[in-house]
Amino acid sequence: MPKTVLRVVDVVKRFGGIVAVDHMSMEVYENEILGLIGPNGAGKTTLFNCITGVYRPDEGDVYFMDEKITGLPPHVIIQKGIARTWQKVRPFKKLTVLDAVTVGALLRIPDVDSAQEKAKEVLEFVGIEKEKWSRLGSEITLIEHKLVDLARALATEPKLLLLDEVAAGLRPHEMDRLAKVLLRIRDEKKITMIVVEHVMRFVMGLSDRIVVMHQGRKIAEGSPQQVASDPKVIEAYLGTKPL
Amino acid sequence: MAKPNKILGIPRRNFYGIIVFALILSTVPALLRFNTYYVYLATDIILIASLVAAWNIIGGYAGQLDLAASAYMALGAVVTGNLLAFYGLTPWLGIPIGVLIALGVAVAVGYPTFRFGIKEVWYALLTAALVVILSRIYWLIYGSTETYLPTYEWSWFYLRFNRYEPFYYMLVVMLAIVLWINYRIRHSKLGYYLNAIREDELAAEALGIDVRRYKLYALMIYATLASIIGGIYVCITGVVGYRNFDPWLGITTAVMGIVGGLGSVEGAVMSGMILRTLEDYLRGTIGSQYPGSHLLVYGIILIVVGVLKPEGLASLIEYVKKRIPWLKS
Ligand SMILES: Nc1ncnc2c1ncn2[C@@H]1O[C@H](COP(=O)(O)OP(=O)(O)OP(=O)(O)O)[C@@H](O)[C@H]1O
Ligand SMILES: [Mg+2]
Repeated sequence: MPKTVLRVVDVVKRFGGIVAVDHMSMEVYENEILGLIGPNGAGKTTLFNCITGVYRPDEGDVYFMDEKITGLPPHVIIQKGIARTWQKVRPFKKLTVLDAVTVGALLRIPDVDSAQEKAKEVLEFVGIEKEKWSRLGSEITLIEHKLVDLARALATEPKLLLLDEVAAGLRPHEMDRLAKVLLRIRDEKKITMIVVEHVMRFVMGLSDRIVVMHQGRKIAEGSPQQVASDPKVIEAYLGTKPL
Repeated sequence: MAKPNKILGIPRRNFYGIIVFALILSTVPALLRFNTYYVYLATDIILIASLVAAWNIIGGYAGQLDLAASAYMALGAVVTGNLLAFYGLTPWLGIPIGVLIALGVAVAVGYPTFRFGIKEVWYALLTAALVVILSRIYWLIYGSTETYLPTYEWSWFYLRFNRYEPFYYMLVVMLAIVLWINYRIRHSKLGYYLNAIREDELAAEALGIDVRRYKLYALMIYATLASIIGGIYVCITGVVGYRNFDPWLGITTAVMGIVGGLGSVEGAVMSGMILRTLEDYLRGTIGSQYPGSHLLVYGIILIVVGVLKPEGLASLIEYVKKRIPWLKS
């Protein structure tokens, strides 16, 4: 039985009348890539925000390595080892790419010069070309920033990494390269991942297991093949019940 | 591990930059032929440049639109001034006491402010109000009477002189120290964290930065420096009163920092010196005929910079640096 890294228990998050996450429960096992999919507005990003402390869940609890982390602030949660990237990019516009990643590295390495070395390592690992390291956040494209965001998160040396649509907007060959990077993160760095993604070819090929959300709830769970043939999933994606 | 590329914790070229800048400034009184009025103006300009450089820590690095520079400065001034006037306490002790009180106020204001996530315009309004509130409190205690400091012809002990040169040189040293602290912060974890907070608080927090704590650090360093500057200031003017809590000075300090280009000390110091020179010049010339004309000039400059160079004077410095390769080394 694999070890459980993250346990989400009956989490509810409401915005006024909208129930964005509705009694959601799931487990994430050590060293797996869990694909989290679901149509627009399913509640995936909101769930990430509940796990990382951006929002406090209205109900339910989140456990990380058997420790309850519900409602802790984001800077404490990352200290414990959960890092994330952002669907809606949040670049440090006036910092260079290298400095932005150094900010992440400083979490574990307080010395600036050593943190910068670590940041360079991570940038290389993620595959960002050297000539882009000295560009400002405002000088790179949003798509390029997705990779910087990944590097920034990775530099904090997390145990669990939540990726919110990192592949969105990438060209097919870039997506293949990113998939290889993610597999290396799992295999070499032994980091567990939850990957939210709309590009089916990408998540289905990459994930060990898939969880499907719809209207804030989990509607299916299993291997990519099982999930892809589940009628409830097909219905959720098509939007209406087949007549 | 030895780090030969750094001196006193800042990059070599910044260190030499400060030294050269201070040496150039040191020649100014001689160039002005020690004319009392001109040296006074030069002293005033260096004082404001130091204040703007101190503001750069909270405003430029941490990105908080703080309008209370004059509050912390005035706290240093009234504490130092009153202790000297009433108890004959030397400013060498009065200034540290002023710093402690300014720090107390900074924490009392900053802690709840950052705790409740007050930022941007709300932070600006709150800090602007702080100046006015402190001014009223002072007025309630001391009324509108001003306190005059004892005069001495030449006393290092009481920091009172009948000339401006000693103050000028003290402030050049102060400016050098404030610059050094700026560079020191910029190249440390604190600087990286403050810059990240300025750029995106939530992303910064998600990378492990305790945003409130680091903002408070920035506020405390800035309040300390501003109150020291205030302590020196009171020895120059020799008088304190509720008018020391000057909302306009708090605003101009921020404007100078913004015109300089947020986050760049070089830009902040440059714009502080240029704008203050202009302000003093206008006050001395058309100011008597058209009172407040310097305010109009401030408005125009802000608009021009905002439209033409939103990145401030710092981007001009960068531009020049890129053209002149040897400046980069
Ligand atoms: N801050 C907020 N305020 C109000 N409503 C919100 C907020 N954030 C999310 N919602 C709503 O909650 C629901 C879930 O949104 P969420 O962004 O979590 O979905 P998602 O699965 O990430 O969708 P997508 O695939 O489009 O990113 C949506 O109906 C959305 O409009
Ligand atoms: Mg989303």
